[in-house]
Amino acid sequence: MSKGHLLTAERKRSRRLSNNVGIESPGGVTWSLRALLLVLYALPLFWLILTSFEPPGNVGGSAIEMLLFKPTLESYRAALNGGLLDAALQSLIIAGGTTALTLGVACSAAYGLARVTASGVVLILGALVGLQMLPQTATVIPLFQVFGAVHLLNTQLAVILADAALLTPWATLLLRPFFRAVPEELEESAALDGASQFRTFISICIPIARNGAITVGTLVFMLSWGEFLYAINLILSPGKYPLSALLAEQVTEFGSNWPNLMALAAVTALPILVLFIFTYRFLRSGLTLGAVK
Amino acid sequence: MLTIKKEKALPALSTVRATPAIGATERGSRRSGRVRRRRTLYVLPAAVFLVVMSGYPLVQLVRMSLANVTIATLQHAWAYVGLQNYRQAFGSPVFGQALDHTIIFVILVFGVGMAGGFTAALVLRGGGRFTVFLLALMVFVWSLPPVVNGSIWRFLMDQYGLLNIVSRGVGTGTVPFLYSPGGSIYSVALVNAWAAVPFTTLVFRAALLGIDPVIIEAGRVDGVRKWQEVKFILLPAVRPTAFVLGVLMVVYAFRSFDFIYVMTDGGPGTATNTLPFLGYSEAFTQYQYGLGSAISVIAGMFILVVAVVYSRSVFRHEKAK
Repeated sequence: MSKGHLLTAERKRSRRLSNNVGIESPGGVTWSLRALLLVLYALPLFWLILTSFEPPGNVGGSAIEMLLFKPTLESYRAALNGGLLDAALQSLIIAGGTTALTLGVACSAAYGLARVTASGVVLILGALVGLQMLPQTATVIPLFQVFGAVHLLNTQLAVILADAALLTPWATLLLRPFFRAVPEELEESAALDGASQFRTFISICIPIARNGAITVGTLVFMLSWGEFLYAINLILSPGKYPLSALLAEQVTEFGSNWPNLMALAAVTALPILVLFIFTYRFLRSGLTLGAVK
Repeated sequence: MLTIKKEKALPALSTVRATPAIGATERGSRRSGRVRRRRTLYVLPAAVFLVVMSGYPLVQLVRMSLANVTIATLQHAWAYVGLQNYRQAFGSPVFGQALDHTIIFVILVFGVGMAGGFTAALVLRGGGRFTVFLLALMVFVWSLPPVVNGSIWRFLMDQYGLLNIVSRGVGTGTVPFLYSPGGSIYSVALVNAWAAVPFTTLVFRAALLGIDPVIIEAGRVDGVRKWQEVKFILLPAVRPTAFVLGVLMVVYAFRSFDFIYVMTDGGPGTATNTLPFLGYSEAFTQYQYGLGSAISVIAGMFILVVAVVYSRSVFRHEKAK
């Protein structure tokens, strides 16, 4: 009895000592929840990859039939013949253009708004929040009309402009704290050394706010890579669709050839994986910063 | 302090001399006031861009909602009909149904997203190799295009998909996850919550790691149980974060359309229409641009209210600084 007491006390003490950051050594509940998360987030990806290598006739049987198969690249080949490269190029143009335009406009605006403290600034920031929250399903209606009136429908430029308008308010709000963090003394001494304001912005503030710009730039690229509602409605000929729109169209219209669809989904996801590997550390810290001031 | 130093170094720059009694700080703030005004010019490109690309389209949206606009009259003079589109929207049963769906959708995505995120943050607080990997995996899934995630889940929930393979294996037969008039909205909402959980996890985790370890340690010394620690120490500590995050989740759920579009396209029938999605499909599949605009304006009104609440809480300290 007393020995048992001693042991538990000893265990408790060592447990306390072993985690000085205030985290309990994980128990059974913790591990089961972690296992659940692993299943929830790894299994769909695994099934995506698996299916994309299935021979077309193999989907529909039991799990064993799905798992025991001869991998084939047939679905990827079919995707390649279905205009995959053209679509990838369109995606690249749209995502690249949107990122460049959004970052340029938003960095400038974030710098301009960084030190404004007048009472009007709350109104401006509030307006940006409102614009950021507007449903895309609402804005696409007038954009279709406006681009039609200026004969920009069926061009990538229309999609780039629409995407950038969608993301600029959000990017500005996210970037502002980064420009705020630039020490005022630094800007002033640059001014004393005779640097123009534009020069100070470009060679002092931007380099210091670099991490913010990388985070926001990455997210803008990812979001515009995946955006499909503007693309589907503003681009009229499906031959000019980017990958995201192509996938959305094929899933909704011919949603049965799963190996082909999963191959197309895998190709659409691949550039995001590459980008993610390089930028995860920025995303992890930048996202939490931006979400909750 | 700094402004004083600058004034001393460059007395010639301050052309407007204040009386010495008021002091150097007054002159400093006046000078930096001029610099600040010039600096405001940097907002101009974004302002012009957003007025043209967001402001003007919004005006057009409201105008279209007050007119009879179809595919034939889209680029011609519109016949204004007053509030007829709004009356038609409010009077149709599809509208009420879409409103119900929107409420179900928002509650589910908000509830599961917040609770799931907090729970996941609790179990992923540690710095072990496995938790680091798991967190990265989740954030990667979150960063994937919704059209990709939606396609995967459309397949998983298909009659040939993994969920139904399992369901048939355990003897519950084929479940029409996405083909049932009553249940599909729940399927799509749960997938939407699934896609949002990594983000809420990340935010909650940062908030949990920001808690002073001394407080947690003190609780442990006092012998609080695990659930007490969660209830009385951790939950109250993340409440401010949870509020802002909660508002963002409500908006995210409300404006979400990508999973609906990819997984069910609003169907079967009208079973998964939410308000924003209904506005879109009235415009682009029924070509009733006026009616679609009116529904979208109604949806936008809701966003306006949330935006005001959110801005008030987040920018509360702006003026003070």
